Amino acid sequence: MVSLKDIAPAAQNNINTRFILLDKGRIMLESQQKTCIALVADETASVHFQFWGEECEAFEPGDIIRLTNGIFSYNRSNSFVLRAGKRGKAEKVGEFTMVFVETPNMSEIRWVPDPNNSKNYVKEAVLSSHSRLFPPMV
Amino acid sequence: MGSRLIVGAPHEADNLLETSLREAFELLESQLNPPFSLKCRNESEYFDINKAIIYGILCEPRMGNVHIKHLHGIVMIVDELYEKLVDSVRVQLIWITLEMIDVSAIGFQGLLVALLRQIVGGDFSDKNLWLCSELVRVFLAKWDCLLEEEPLVLTSALYAFLRLLAHHCRLIDFCVRLLREQFRLCMMIGRDLVRLLQELVHVPEFRSIWKDLMLSPSEFKVPEFRDISQLYRVRTSSRYFLLRITPVMESQLRFLLSDVKFGNHRRYQVWFAKKFLGIAEKETLLIDIVRFICCSHHPPNEIILSDIIPRWAVIGWLLKCCRKNYVEASVKLALFYDWLFFDEKVDNVMNIEPAFLLMVNSMSRYIEMTHTLLDFLLLVVNNYDTERREIIVHGVQSSFDVLVRRGVIQSLDVLISSDKLFPFLKERIVKLLSERKVTSLENFQAGSFRGSTSLPDLPAAVGMEPGTFQHEMSASASQNDVELGPPTNVTSCSPLAENDDIHEQSLESLVQNLGKHIRSSKQMGVQALDKILHLYVNLSSKAETTNFSISLDQLSSIIAKEFRYSGNQLFD
Repeated sequence: MVSLKDIAPAAQNNINTRFILLDKGRIMLESQQKTCIALVADETASVHFQFWGEECEAFEPGDIIRLTNGIFSYNRSNSFVLRAGKRGKAEKVGEFTMVFVETPNMSEIRWVPDPNNSKNYVKEAVLSSHSRLFPPMV
Repeated sequence: MGSRLIVGAPHEADNLLETSLREAFELLESQLNPPFSLKCRNESEYFDINKAIIYGILCEPRMGNVHIKHLHGIVMIVDELYEKLVDSVRVQLIWITLEMIDVSAIGFQGLLVALLRQIVGGDFSDKNLWLCSELVRVFLAKWDCLLEEEPLVLTSALYAFLRLLAHHCRLIDFCVRLLREQFRLCMMIGRDLVRLLQELVHVPEFRSIWKDLMLSPSEFKVPEFRDISQLYRVRTSSRYFLLRITPVMESQLRFLLSDVKFGNHRRYQVWFAKKFLGIAEKETLLIDIVRFICCSHHPPNEIILSDIIPRWAVIGWLLKCCRKNYVEASVKLALFYDWLFFDEKVDNVMNIEPAFLLMVNSMSRYIEMTHTLLDFLLLVVNNYDTERREIIVHGVQSSFDVLVRRGVIQSLDVLISSDKLFPFLKERIVKLLSERKVTSLENFQAGSFRGSTSLPDLPAAVGMEPGTFQHEMSASASQNDVELGPPTNVTSCSPLAENDDIHEQSLESLVQNLGKHIRSSKQMGVQALDKILHLYVNLSSKAETTNFSISLDQLSSIIAKEFRYSGNQLFD
């Protein structure tokens, strides 16, 4: 299990983690497939998560989700999102009883290829302390 | 393969409990043919066989007769999985319950309590009504056996059913029978039994029970029960409040109050409200939740001193969730209930702390919350039980006293010396605190009361719209009784009638000029209002014999309108 604060973009389906779903955006169609951006978080960080297909309706804010073999990478709108991908799996394991922080948001960080190892990404700058798509609730 | 025990949602992970039950069953199925021996098993083997039996009985009805007596594990099924159970499994569960009662199986009372907690208040779905009627059938069918073996579980059922009664009329028979035949047992519930019964006086069967409770305690055939104040003095055990909170609700509330930081709580509140308070009928749950928080959830010191959201803040939010005025009044009563009868020997300061801290901590930014709560407390002191007002005055005085002595607050000045508090509320609370202290509650032993000739109209007083003028009126009315001596028992006496004319003249002119006063200064507006209320009360106490030209409704709407025009949202 990895904490959200420790994830970095990679072309690999190897992220196993657990988080709570805070908010969901509108369901859209992307090449005839339903998709939806959401804000998820654990006790260390938050990140944008992209649901696909029937996942979009299966989860509600407040659900605690276990992600197996997920991937953190660019989506088509050129921002970094976490998702299950074809090889991964998102499952509801509970509700409500998990603490979270909304900052930092790993999708609001500018990631650049590591000059020493082009396979890795490193943080270049913080674009926003909180999600700009889902502002904190006050 | 799908589970035969529970219904899973799409994308829901396997349930660990379900998996362990199924695996135990698959492992031990061949050994589950009776008769089988329970000897020479270690703890984990014993636990496995218990799980296998549970799974077998619920999912394989042919297994039903196997060693039901040893089924203590079943409570965890109800607590953790009930919501998701397949319908046929629920039917089996009720059957098991009956069987377990028959053989006095170990822990069957725990199973009954777990099932009672699964009935959701304000939920009219077929499944919920089914559980309710099945359970009342169980309790009635096993009445004698339960009375003999586990009488306390009957009081748990009474508590749960009384709270559900407004919606489920089939429960009446059970409740009335227990109250009429086993009142001594019912008394074990303590003061909250009174709170529950008074919410039911609109049901004819309970109106007569209420009447007997107030006027003819001997009807209950318990010689030592001579007055309702004996019930007031018994603090209700916290396990009763759990009966109206489902285990899921309980775990979410406890999580909120133990792990969530103040400031980070909004999303949790939204989720909780959506899940449990979504429909209007469920609003009455707020009453049970507030009672649960005050009496059943007492955080340890390290939580109190941390940045975790405090109980008073959660209760403030719950009060804001009330949409109906009568629910709001009941929630406030739930919040203050232990204040009314507080006795340091039996009561816990933690039960009264949230109401007090909510009043004090709202003063800087939400003074209207402080006003409406204090106003309600004063109203209740004077109207809850007019025959036993002194008991309640004593309770409220003791509450304030113990809150200061135990260091919840350094001094009451924070509350009563604040410039923000309405002067007339301040006056009334100071007056209340300085009323002659009653030295001992023993003075209130039955028999020392004046015989009452009319049924105290308790529910009417409490059911009134909180924070409105009706409130203000009745509270001031009682206050006047204190201030101006005994209420004038006006007969058709002409000099008084003349006086009334003069009064009414000035009342009318006061009302006409109210807007002007409000606009000139807040202070003047409040003074004028105070005067109007006093005059009105004096007049209305004689209204039966005179022609009274302004009705209460007219007056209150004029006052509210004048305040609204000047930009003041009054009370509500």
